[in-house]
Amino acid sequence: MRDIVVSWLANLPPLAVPYALASLGLIISERSGVLSLGAEGLMLVGALTGVAAYLSFGGYPLLALVAAMIAGAFVSILFAVLVVLLRVNQVIAGLSLVFFCQGFTNLIGTVANWSNRTISGLHVLPLYPLSELPVVGRVLFTQDVIVYLTIPIFIAVTYFLNRTNMGLRLRAVGENPEAADAAGLSIYLYRFVAVIGGSALVGLAGGYLSVGSAKIWIAGMTSGRGWIAVALVIFARWHPWRALFGALLFGGIEALIPQVAAAGIRVPQYFMLMTPYLATLAVMVWQEVRGRIGSDEPAALGQPYVREERT
Amino acid sequence: MLLDAPWWIMSDQDAALSPLAVPRIAGPGSGRWPFGRMILEVRLDMPAWKQVVAVACSILIGMFISAVILVASGVPPGELVNEFASNVFDRQSFQAVLVQAAPLILVGIAASIGFRARFWNLGLEGQMVWGGIAATAVTIYHIGPEGLRLPLMALFAMMAGMAWVAIPALLRMKFAVNEIISTLLLNYVATYCLYDLLYGPWKDPKDAFPHSSLYASAERLPDIGHGVNAALPLALVLVLLVFWFAEFSRFGFYLKFIYANPAMGRLVGVPIIPVVWTAVLMSGALAGLGGFLVPSGIAGRLTQGFFEGYGFSGVLIAFLARNNAVAAAIVAVLIAMLFVTGQSFQIFYQIPFSMVQMIQAIIVMCVAASEFFIRHRIRLQR
Repeated sequence: MRDIVVSWLANLPPLAVPYALASLGLIISERSGVLSLGAEGLMLVGALTGVAAYLSFGGYPLLALVAAMIAGAFVSILFAVLVVLLRVNQVIAGLSLVFFCQGFTNLIGTVANWSNRTISGLHVLPLYPLSELPVVGRVLFTQDVIVYLTIPIFIAVTYFLNRTNMGLRLRAVGENPEAADAAGLSIYLYRFVAVIGGSALVGLAGGYLSVGSAKIWIAGMTSGRGWIAVALVIFARWHPWRALFGALLFGGIEALIPQVAAAGIRVPQYFMLMTPYLATLAVMVWQEVRGRIGSDEPAALGQPYVREERT
Repeated sequence: MLLDAPWWIMSDQDAALSPLAVPRIAGPGSGRWPFGRMILEVRLDMPAWKQVVAVACSILIGMFISAVILVASGVPPGELVNEFASNVFDRQSFQAVLVQAAPLILVGIAASIGFRARFWNLGLEGQMVWGGIAATAVTIYHIGPEGLRLPLMALFAMMAGMAWVAIPALLRMKFAVNEIISTLLLNYVATYCLYDLLYGPWKDPKDAFPHSSLYASAERLPDIGHGVNAALPLALVLVLLVFWFAEFSRFGFYLKFIYANPAMGRLVGVPIIPVVWTAVLMSGALAGLGGFLVPSGIAGRLTQGFFEGYGFSGVLIAFLARNNAVAAAIVAVLIAMLFVTGQSFQIFYQIPFSMVQMIQAIIVMCVAASEFFIRHRIRLQR
């Protein structure tokens, strides 16, 4: 029993990281008022680019992850142009971005022959003295570099959003674009940068999924994790640390699936695979039952800003 | 304010109100652009024919981009033209298009009736899956006499689709859970339910592949001649019904109210909750029926991926048809051509079928972007 729990906990962080990074990226762009439903597609782009860069540039996993970030940011420029400049309905733009990316990554992966090729990917980096500690060593200090980096990334983003002038302005743009505009902030610039910066993190989450944990590219491999990340942001009430908590929760559920089978409990396989989605629904219901008190939902979320139609 | 705004987003209003506007003072961002200054203004109205031209141009641009991507991934350009042309001119392909169009019409009107009630039903695929499962259950457990089999299958499929859409609808009405995410997540749940059945109890005993055994001939939609089955007339009748319902009935009038301004609707006494429920359940029933048409009208059995690509297609059809049922039927026929072409590319050039989704997404983006130019005018001021 103890072995099962330890191996469950040790498998948890790598599964939680994609949720954590993706929802953090979404929080950045949603705080500026842009509803980024395209996360699922951007994660796919990141995942494919990660494997592609790994296979093409001589197998450097960190280079592959940087490429995934750049690709996520690059594709999101398309989304930003649509929703920020051209004021397209953000739901329509986000959905079409997802389906565009699904088709496009599938096509490119097949044509360039990057599909279904296992790579050795990102390696575990034990932090030596600490990794020898009994249980904690294996769970917390025998992970890969992105797992270690996740916490500093969260600290940096929280600091940026809450403690810097830029972060304050970014939130102002999402809360009340009219006032922010009147105060002399460029709504378009802030939203553009927030979407692109946030999408870089979403791309990193996707790249980590393929290069770090699955070590393979399969068409459609994110299987709804992007949507779950969107739901996590609502659950987290747009607060980074709550998003990290939610990510750990979902990483825990995902890590539990193989453990249940290993423990010899007979549950139909496909019903086990449903649990993350059902858990997401449960979490969303719970969130709404608790009420929206303390929620930092940006007031202008999802509304294109049109200065010419200002009242 | 003038100095701060990006130059391409400056409006007449700003130019007129700002004291800096008249004597143009050079500052950061307001230098002299070689072609003058771009001014953006909101159009109040645009003639219908111009709108049609704008949308048509954007569709052409979208198709051009898609064609470039396909050619770059190895389809000879001549073949590309050939395949699309054969959809209209080749008898066999045209039949395939008509057969393919029926379920697409259904998901298209299903999405549009949901959108009219401001309910983002993105769970069309999940509702189709359950429709297919329910219809197949009728065939597997031999429910009802053979003569009544088809109507029973259709009925079960509609009930199943309604039941599946009722979950996100309930979550939305009772707990204000965002239906965009809940319907999408439920698609995955429905898919896993389907896999559980097809890899488990419903696996075809004859070849042990993950699909149900072939439907009996009484359970397949009958041919009405020229290789087209009864699905198409059924879909067209439903189109007319939904069109009448949404445009001319009292219910449709309420829906228009809810679409335009729910708060106002409540004030003047529109029964919002029952109307929204009816629309959402109709949407689910139509999608479920679509899930019955695919196995019964095309494949002859329940297959693993029979619903793939329909969900987004439904959204796209509703979006392009501006939630109008008759227009949706026309758009659905065009999308059916894309489906048939996609299927043949999959066979001949190993292009994944999801390229159909990609092309649709490109077209949606282009059309959505064209709305900007319909609603705004850009003028150059020297």
